[in-house]
Amino acid sequence: MPSVSERLVTPGRAAGGVALVAFAAVALAYPSIAPNPYLLSVGIVVLNYAVLSTSWNFVGGFTGYISLGHGALAGLGAYGTGLLVTKGGLPSFGALVVAALLVAALAVPIGYAALRVRGASFVIVSIALVLVTLLVFQSWASFTGGSRGLNVPRPFPGMLRPEHHRVFFYLFLALLAVALLVWWLIDRSRFGLGLKAIREDEDKAEALGTPTFAYKLVVFVVSAFFTGLAGGLYALWFGDLDPIFQFSILTGSYMVLMALLGGVRNLFGPLVGALVVGVALEYFKVEFGNTPLHLVATGVLLALVVLFMPDGVLPALGSLLRRLDRTTDSSIREVTAAELAAQRIGGEQHAQSRNG
Amino acid sequence: MRSLETVELTKAFGGNVVLDKTTVSFRHGKVNALIGPNGSGKTTFFNCVTGMIRPDSGRVLYGGADITRRAPHAIARAGIGRTFQLCRVFPRMTVLDNVLAAARPANLFRGARGRAEVDRARGWLTKLGIEHLAGAEARNLSWGQQKLLELAGVLMSEPETVLLDEPAGGVNPALLDRIGGLVRELNAEGRTFVIVEHNMDLVMSISDHIVVFDRGRPIAEGPPAAIRSDERVLGAYLGV
Repeated sequence: MPSVSERLVTPGRAAGGVALVAFAAVALAYPSIAPNPYLLSVGIVVLNYAVLSTSWNFVGGFTGYISLGHGALAGLGAYGTGLLVTKGGLPSFGALVVAALLVAALAVPIGYAALRVRGASFVIVSIALVLVTLLVFQSWASFTGGSRGLNVPRPFPGMLRPEHHRVFFYLFLALLAVALLVWWLIDRSRFGLGLKAIREDEDKAEALGTPTFAYKLVVFVVSAFFTGLAGGLYALWFGDLDPIFQFSILTGSYMVLMALLGGVRNLFGPLVGALVVGVALEYFKVEFGNTPLHLVATGVLLALVVLFMPDGVLPALGSLLRRLDRTTDSSIREVTAAELAAQRIGGEQHAQSRNG
Repeated sequence: MRSLETVELTKAFGGNVVLDKTTVSFRHGKVNALIGPNGSGKTTFFNCVTGMIRPDSGRVLYGGADITRRAPHAIARAGIGRTFQLCRVFPRMTVLDNVLAAARPANLFRGARGRAEVDRARGWLTKLGIEHLAGAEARNLSWGQQKLLELAGVLMSEPETVLLDEPAGGVNPALLDRIGGLVRELNAEGRTFVIVEHNMDLVMSISDHIVVFDRGRPIAEGPPAAIRSDERVLGAYLGV
């Protein structure tokens, strides 16, 4: 007999499954149904946000450490890829992988220093990372191109723009799928349980024998690797890098905003957040042009979510579904003697069938 | 023989000397109690022993090995488990996951809910009488249930020495009896206990050996009968 947790297909799970299939279907068909190349490129930008936010959630969601510095890791991935192509002469996608591995390697000393502090201190250290990298890449113009920017050659020369968008849309979608798969694998593993224990109470986890620092460092490196890949893929797609945009505090803030909005404890939280915020951002940009008003609108959106759905959109939807279905209402439910007996008999039968 | 002992352990917070060259050793395989007035350094002593606080000087020895500078998780893995004075559980995890999080997995990348581990975890929950709450979030439990859950987690990590910081704090008499009985039972299975506690009835009824702290130093030690009539102890507690 299956245990209580896996017994039912709950309304929440069913709705989640339907939503996931629907998202996958729409995403796969999107390049064919997008009315123009501009909207296709918006799709790519939103997917890029989804990958970045999911990558951020390896640290933010599992350990509860809020990094505003992940924009720097994305920027390093982007510049690493661009420089390896232009100066190193590597093939585009070889450069992408090498750059992401370099970002992951660099994340070891960065994490070693930053993960020693918690809470607000960690947030400030992570902001410092963005500022330092921005200064380095702006000032070291002979190598990085500085504020004049860095031109990254297209990986598919001769390909027309709509086709180029189409290919990159699927590349970002594939990267998103891999990032989600790895997050899911960690989520259900013993390693993931240790990480979540850190999020809940780090000292307590340590006292129970979890090497918390090593756990945090490993997951920070994994997060950096995916963030670097997202940044590098963006560089290959967009083809033009400027330090002021690549090493921006805004990038990291968007990742946090999207993950919080969707729900950091949920596999698909950052994706949902990216769909909402990403689409809203692009829409506000078209409506309000390049004024800071789109930032104000985004801020209002965040405030509303924090006020009314502090755990994010997905958990709010989940509890709404549970309220509609009164049978699984309470987390501590009364168990009748008959149910207990049934469980016991079921357990014995299970044990017998395993032994037999 | 793995016994827990400290040699001239010293810790001061600012000018406040909390542990003052504390040299003490606990009986292996016994139920030890650590008592003393508030502020006598009992919890700081636990924190220094388990690596949560770094002592200013002195040494902590476990089974003859110096564990003074080790990280808390390494000390836990050496076999010393602990509970906290203000009971600490993982609030937004289920009761079952709380206990599973204390398992020491050999392979980190396997599923967190392996059959052997889940069976062991449920075994501890059953032993502590909270198995029916396995699927509930820990933050929804009562204080007493959380204390039992914390203990289940510590036991899941298979410590050979268990430090309990005020296990009787805020629990009702029935639960108190259960905790006392449990300590004796687990001790009979070979676990060593060191218990910080203010409830003298509990201390006197379950302890084999009692150490009394005053101002960061042991002022007396011995079996319950001797401690009960010790004048220095009465002086420290009652100020006479």
